Amino acid sequence: MRLIGWLVVALFVGLSAWFAWTAFTQGAIWASDVHNTRLAAANALRGDILDRDGHVLATTDSDGTRRYLESDAARRALSQTVGDTRGMSGTGVESFYSASLLDISGSLLDRMSELFSGVRHVGSSVRLTIDGPLQAYVAGQFPSGYSGAACVTNWRTGEILAMVSLPNYDPYDVMEGREERVPDTAYLNRCLQGLYTPGSIFKIVTLASALSNDPAVVDQPFTCAGVWDYEGGHINCAGNTAHGTVDLETAFKRSCNVTFGKLAYQLGAQRLRETAERLGFNENFKFGDFVVYNSAFPGRISGTSGLVWAGIGQGEVLVTPLHMTLITGAVANGGVMMKPWLVKGVTTALGAPSATGVSTPYRQVLDEAVAGTIAAYMRETVKSGTAKRAAIKGLSVCGKTGSAEVSDDKSVETNAWFTGFIDDPAHPYAISVVIEGGGAGARLPSELAARALKKAVEYVG
Amino acid sequence: MNNKLDKMKRALRRSNTRLLLTAVMAFQALTQALIAFQDRAVNPQALILAVALPLVTMLVTNLMGRLWPVDRAILIMVLFLCSLGIITLQDIARADVTPRTQAIYAGAGLVAMFTGATFIRAFRSWKKLLPLMMGLCLIALLTPWTPGIGIYKYGARNWVGLGGFSVQPSEFMKPVMILCLAAGFANRPRFLKCLPAIGFAAACCAVLLSEKDLGAVLLYFLTTVFMYYAATSNAFITLSGLGMGGAAAVIAYRFLPYVRDRVAIWRNPWSDYDGAGYQLVQSLIAIGSGGLFGMGVGLGSPRKIPLYHSDFIFASITEEFGLILAIGLLAVYVMIILRGLIVAFNARTSFHSLAAFGLVIMLGLQTMLIVGGNTKLLPLTGVTLPLVCYGGSSLISTFFSMGILLGISSMNALDEARDIEQLELRED
Repeated sequence: MRLIGWLVVALFVGLSAWFAWTAFTQGAIWASDVHNTRLAAANALRGDILDRDGHVLATTDSDGTRRYLESDAARRALSQTVGDTRGMSGTGVESFYSASLLDISGSLLDRMSELFSGVRHVGSSVRLTIDGPLQAYVAGQFPSGYSGAACVTNWRTGEILAMVSLPNYDPYDVMEGREERVPDTAYLNRCLQGLYTPGSIFKIVTLASALSNDPAVVDQPFTCAGVWDYEGGHINCAGNTAHGTVDLETAFKRSCNVTFGKLAYQLGAQRLRETAERLGFNENFKFGDFVVYNSAFPGRISGTSGLVWAGIGQGEVLVTPLHMTLITGAVANGGVMMKPWLVKGVTTALGAPSATGVSTPYRQVLDEAVAGTIAAYMRETVKSGTAKRAAIKGLSVCGKTGSAEVSDDKSVETNAWFTGFIDDPAHPYAISVVIEGGGAGARLPSELAARALKKAVEYVG
Repeated sequence: MNNKLDKMKRALRRSNTRLLLTAVMAFQALTQALIAFQDRAVNPQALILAVALPLVTMLVTNLMGRLWPVDRAILIMVLFLCSLGIITLQDIARADVTPRTQAIYAGAGLVAMFTGATFIRAFRSWKKLLPLMMGLCLIALLTPWTPGIGIYKYGARNWVGLGGFSVQPSEFMKPVMILCLAAGFANRPRFLKCLPAIGFAAACCAVLLSEKDLGAVLLYFLTTVFMYYAATSNAFITLSGLGMGGAAAVIAYRFLPYVRDRVAIWRNPWSDYDGAGYQLVQSLIAIGSGGLFGMGVGLGSPRKIPLYHSDFIFASITEEFGLILAIGLLAVYVMIILRGLIVAFNARTSFHSLAAFGLVIMLGLQTMLIVGGNTKLLPLTGVTLPLVCYGGSSLISTFFSMGILLGISSMNALDEARDIEQLELRED
């Protein structure tokens, strides 16, 4: 009886602790949900949204109207990141941080004085890690007419510098009821919510798995005749190019599908999945500053075919551009994935900081030696492989391209990918670019990445 | 000799609960006054309650305390919880009729509490009456199946309509069922001898399952298992009972789409916020909006939560009064449970001890289920937050249960007084 009694009391204490903890830590997130109709009625002026250098991305006029950037292009470029007052882009800071922007859970004292004075209360301002001009520049450089995403981060700190997602929209159209002018899927922030087939950029993961499980694999020769007939199907390299007998580095920099198909077959589904999951596939990321969809690696792989195709990032493998940037960033950072963050700080209307973002390691996802080898291979890829166009004069760029098939019969142009980073702790920037229907990764996304990284060095330092 | 007994009784009565009583009365008066004067026009009902609640609390505490040497701390905390329910309803319902009805139910509840205490003090022939009680309990649980008066509501057939009133037999049968189990398990360490009581509990669960009253099934089942363990300390059979319950839950999950929906909503309510997840999402949003100190009495808008006055009253309270009071509320339940357990430990007969234990455990489990459901720790089951939540059946039945608990506590106190007296006699 004593035992059960204590058990029940202990359960109660546990329940209280759990309740207090979640309500305390996640309460603000719950409260700032778009579906919280209390927010719309709140008698407060929204605080400002600033970029990392203090450029005002959103502010409120004294009469209560919300103002965004003057420039049409820049306003659109930042649309999904900043969001809108109606919460159409649910991942935007306007929605996700509305509790702070309105200060609805502000201090008791503030609320009391507001109650008695009748002065409309001004919410906190939120400063982002985003570099506004950089994001506008990248969006402007995006090949016109294409949809896609580009995500730039600082791989040493985890700060997100730019999240470009196309098509985008004009928040004024939403606020003023001209929704018919908003293109389809423009509310989506593709960096966070776009689940794409990775294609060849997934070879980074396959390579990581091979290197982690058997370091001797670097010296293993592979033969590529352009096509490999495995039991039950065949896999071929782009344009059926025969790469001949190659070592792993050459296969990587030339993006040889046959070699990586064989590599995946050699590893087996179990080991490949282990590495993928260590790198964050199938993981429910809870980063706090935003919501990112879960990248997927199939839990059950059917037969050789499934395994071989998974090894080159086709089939049921899906990834978000942000997650890909995290993986690349971890390669750059000696195998340590940094937790991505979007909010540098929250400051109350009186100027007191109420929250500050900090750089925190998320997890060691790769051994340092493995990360070093992958980085070296990626450097070669830019120097003399498929990603030559990503090179920047005077900087050591590492990268990998991808051309992901999105249909079974090649009737649709492939999605073009590039993911890479500057291998220099003074300019620690990583980028992932995906251009839907952009063809080969070697062209459009590599060029865009080079321009974006160059600009990041110029703007951010 | 009589003189000494009287002195002892008086000493017991003087146990220091005055501070607690004053604090509770102040809380009741202040919050109701706050509600009464909130708008430009004074709310007369809130004003009446601002006076009536503390007065009734004081009156009942003193009356019951003078009648029998009951555990006053439990009594005051029970009255506090009940008044918190009325206050919250007055605050959020925006219509005077809901709190008024609840206050009337509370009045009936107080009568039930006195009845419970009188009943348990007078009830000596539990062994003889056991089969009769079991039969009555089962029949009462079956009534919602009676054509004409059974009512199907909120996805469960657990209501009975009686001339304008609708009552929930599964609520009223909770104390009866616990008394049956206590009588059935008392002084019977052998498994076979406990079988009739276990069979009875299983029958109750089966009836409730047929009515789709899942919350009640869970409560009845867990209470039975825990009471069995308390009575026999037979870990093997208890664990196998729990295992069977777990297996049943898995089967229910597999074959009842209704159960699967509940679990899916619990796992990710945000995925379907406009449909099935709506209640839980609104509950979490309300809790989040409250913050540490709450939006303030009358300043929040918990009416946006569906069933804000019944299933989700805990979320409503959190929004209005804040996280700190919500944790305090849980602490009050824990204190009732702790003091209730002391009553169970001190009881002189196995029957009384088990009865007190069962009542307290059921109260605790019920609170945990609904609070866990409100806060996304557990899948939501439609049980009530004891004493706080709107609804007559639950309130009156819980008051009756607490009456029994208080009755047992008074019997303990008297027995103790007699012991001490006899010790003194021997020393003299």
